[in-house]
Amino acid sequence: MTKDQFLASLRTHLTGVPLAAADDIVADYASHFDEGMAAGRREEDVAAALGDPARLARELRAQAGLKRWEEERSPSAAAGAILAILSIGAIDLLILLPVMMVVISLIFALACVAAAFTIAGIFMLLFSPFAIIGGHFIQGFLGGLAFLSGGTAMGCLSALASIGLVNFLIRYGRFHLRLIKPITA
Amino acid sequence: MAESIPVQLKKGVLELCVLAVLSKGDGYAYDIASQLAEGIDMGEGTIYPLMRRLQDEGLVATYLAESPSGPPRKYYRLTETGRASLQAQRAEWTSFARAVNAILGEG
Repeated sequence: MTKDQFLASLRTHLTGVPLAAADDIVADYASHFDEGMAAGRREEDVAAALGDPARLARELRAQAGLKRWEEERSPSAAAGAILAILSIGAIDLLILLPVMMVVISLIFALACVAAAFTIAGIFMLLFSPFAIIGGHFIQGFLGGLAFLSGGTAMGCLSALASIGLVNFLIRYGRFHLRLIKPITA
Repeated sequence: MAESIPVQLKKGVLELCVLAVLSKGDGYAYDIASQLAEGIDMGEGTIYPLMRRLQDEGLVATYLAESPSGPPRKYYRLTETGRASLQAQRAEWTSFARAVNAILGEG
């Protein structure tokens, strides 16, 4: 592989990494070639010693994904980080998937109950002046308030659980990024 | 799986080795990679993801300096955090290696 081929392949596989960071990375490898050739090595030898650009790019992408998640806690950053970690094979999908399905459906169920409680609470509050539910309108009002706060609390709980889940996955991925899947020539 | 154990060991200590090399003086990635590639048999390319991570974690900082030939080089230097991390990792490694050697010696 020539220098240009290596750098082009690296660049292609760095999609998703912020442009400035990708430029920086490609410049690092370009200067590695320049140093190697100045030391009298052949382009092909330098490329071979560097390793597979696609694998290097996967690791760099996973790292950039983790960094982005730390800087902006957004759902898209979480998805990006998890996808990048999956791509380096740090998380075994076959083992993880069943566990994840259970945890995700539990969180989803909690979120649904939370939504139902919230909606019920809002209705009870709205209709309490007409005393449709129960006898006194105070009863309906307090009942609505109880349902609303219960729903909100459960909603918060499920949000917390989701954030915790993403954090757990990312910590797991980071740990593996350090220890496994090294890039050897 | 048989060969993955030494490989994992290597990657685990690569960070320690890079920090140790930098503690003897600032260096640029090509130089660090060739020093390590001789002793530890790893892809030279691995150094760049590692240097980026160390930089993200604040263990190393970079600056540009003139090179005798060609464009300026990106040099890495150890930060105070990096120095502290090196000390901690060195202590861990030393006691771990001693324990393993003691067990191997018994066998």
